[in-house]
Amino acid sequence: MRKFGLLGSALFAAALAVTSPAAAQSFNWRAQDGQTINLMFNNHPWSQAMRDMVADFTAKTGVKARIEIFNEEQFRARLTTLMQGGSADMDVYMSLTSREGSIFHRAGWYADLAPLMADKSLTMPDFNYEDFGASIRQASTFGKQIVALPINQEGPLFYWRKDIFERCKIAEPAALEDIPAAAAAIKKCDANQGAWAARGIRGVTPYAMAGFIYNSGGSFATPDGKPGLSQPNSVRGLEMYANLLKDYGPPGALNHTFTQVIELLGQGRVAMTHESSNEFANIVRFPNRANDLGVKVLPPGRDTKISKPVAIGWTVAISSHSKRQPAAWLFLQWATSREVQAKLVQAGVAPPRASVFEGEEFNAWAKELPIRRAWANALIEIGRTGTGIYQSPTDRIPEARDIIGGAMQAIVQGKASPAEAARAADADLAKLQ
Amino acid sequence: MLRTQTLPSYSDAVAAKATEAAGAGGFNTSLAGNSFRWMAAPALLFAGTMIAFPFGYAVWLALSDVQLGSAPRFTGLDNFHRMLADPEFWNGLRLTLLLYVVSLSLQLVIGTWLGLLLARFQSARGLVRTVMVSPFMLPPVVVGMMAIVILDPSFGIANWLLSQLGLPPALWLSNPDTVMFTIAALDTWQWTPFVALIVMGGYLSLPHDVFESAEMDGAHGWTRFRYVTLPLLGPTLITAAVLRSVDILRFFDIIYLTTQGGPGTASTTLNILAYRRGFEFSELGYASAIMVTLSAIVFGSVLMFARLRRAVAW
Repeated sequence: MRKFGLLGSALFAAALAVTSPAAAQSFNWRAQDGQTINLMFNNHPWSQAMRDMVADFTAKTGVKARIEIFNEEQFRARLTTLMQGGSADMDVYMSLTSREGSIFHRAGWYADLAPLMADKSLTMPDFNYEDFGASIRQASTFGKQIVALPINQEGPLFYWRKDIFERCKIAEPAALEDIPAAAAAIKKCDANQGAWAARGIRGVTPYAMAGFIYNSGGSFATPDGKPGLSQPNSVRGLEMYANLLKDYGPPGALNHTFTQVIELLGQGRVAMTHESSNEFANIVRFPNRANDLGVKVLPPGRDTKISKPVAIGWTVAISSHSKRQPAAWLFLQWATSREVQAKLVQAGVAPPRASVFEGEEFNAWAKELPIRRAWANALIEIGRTGTGIYQSPTDRIPEARDIIGGAMQAIVQGKASPAEAARAADADLAKLQ
Repeated sequence: MLRTQTLPSYSDAVAAKATEAAGAGGFNTSLAGNSFRWMAAPALLFAGTMIAFPFGYAVWLALSDVQLGSAPRFTGLDNFHRMLADPEFWNGLRLTLLLYVVSLSLQLVIGTWLGLLLARFQSARGLVRTVMVSPFMLPPVVVGMMAIVILDPSFGIANWLLSQLGLPPALWLSNPDTVMFTIAALDTWQWTPFVALIVMGGYLSLPHDVFESAEMDGAHGWTRFRYVTLPLLGPTLITAAVLRSVDILRFFDIIYLTTQGGPGTASTTLNILAYRRGFEFSELGYASAIMVTLSAIVFGSVLMFARLRRAVAW
């Protein structure tokens, strides 16, 4: 009798599942009501906006979200400690998959999102993963595993003060080689005006420097996959970046990262920089910058005609150690949804969803100011032509970028000629392969 | 007779009590020993959990190849062999010792001078002490941020002040030749008052009759300081040196906040190097080898001062 009862129940359940598939597979935003998830973010315009908007997520799902935001170095240190310790305390974290994706994937630190995405009871019907750009999706896919969802797209852009160029009767740089010439002309026109600022700290420099190397016709790798910083065109780009910093950069530039660069540009102390598109919202908050700045993709090399900018995107991932993955997945869907991304544009976060980029809200926002339109156009261009590679081929990406930035520093400090610095860097980079 | 009589220690007293109880047939020495062990257990457990285990784990990591996400693989002394052949390690060691020598010397000299000055300062002593305490009560992150703002070559107030005095601007933390001295100056600014308070406390507890005798014998000023005050302050100064040594050798936060080890590797001390190797480049085994070596240096300096303390005891 007991056996029959169990069998009967199972058959009843199976019959229910067959006769009402919609009920079995329906997605419910409140399916995890009452749960609490912990999120750890890097300090970024996206995470700051999330902190302000997360109450909307709780209202929609009933899931409480505790957000911790750290500066990038502290964020990475804490993330490594928690993950290496196998901690289940953290459910969701930001990840730059173009940087650490392969290492984290090999360590098994990402939960696989593909099965969650395939489960119609867990994924909202209009999620549409293909709405994210193909190159951005590719950066977060390892084999069949989808490790993260994109939250923005970004890359370094060329910012210049139109009013200073006008006052000094200098033409807008149309070619890469025009930038040092413009810097020299600005110094000649107004000795008190800073001409140039850019990143100088080793590990963060290649992000801003790669455009100089690519547009000069160089590359970080030889055709056979060896480190290629010492190729003649690569050396030319490396030298131009280092000389701009040495001859026209602010004092102490080798200790500068984007925070100092943005401060210098925002305060009007420098006329040009090559800095992240992400910082756009922070720059135009300074008085007058929304009106007197120009922004575009780094100009192509005059002879090479090459324009190959860096284009990357931060992502948000679920920890493989998380015990609350369904609730975390709800957060990922909400945070990367079309509605939320449309709101994030107001905070200067470039949307990775094509439908948002082409949507009415984004275009209406961009039309309000000429500089916003210029920024949007530049982002469209880097999304089309950009690359996420700005180091020689290796899995040890942070170390490789540190070595490349070290070569630039050696030139600025006068410790080595550009060719010597590049050769020494290539020798060190070869050890990482 | 009374002077040579020594007081019984606590354990002697416990043992005597136990023997007495055993004689009365209600207790024995092994029971007394057991209860003593139980009383010590929480402290031993705490020390084992919070000190011995983490340090033992660090040593294990130092002897292993650690890949993220997987268990460490024992590789013997490989990480130490690599360390000895790494120019960045030797650069880090040189900078760590440079910072140690410069900071400690400045803090002991200025701290002693300031401490003796304060000891003679009668009015508003409480207020002065409160003001003195404030620098080392500040969290390192606040000191680091203050240094970034004040010493920035482009918009910092330090260069503005120099320009008001007709002096050329300085690069402070951005010059590879001066960065370690600037960091030493920051540490000195923050921690000299701490040394001064220790010295002041030590000086005020010294027997006054010795100074009166010295005065009567004609020892004044520098002579009195050189031959009376300084020898009497020896144990106090050694205590201050031990406390500051441990801190300076593992100095990390302000360097990381202000320079991240740069420009180049000009301020990459052993602590910064280990952090970069461990957390930025995910080489936890190699980073642990560096940290174990640094711990040995810290331990060595403490032992050295402990010996010195016995030598200067009076």
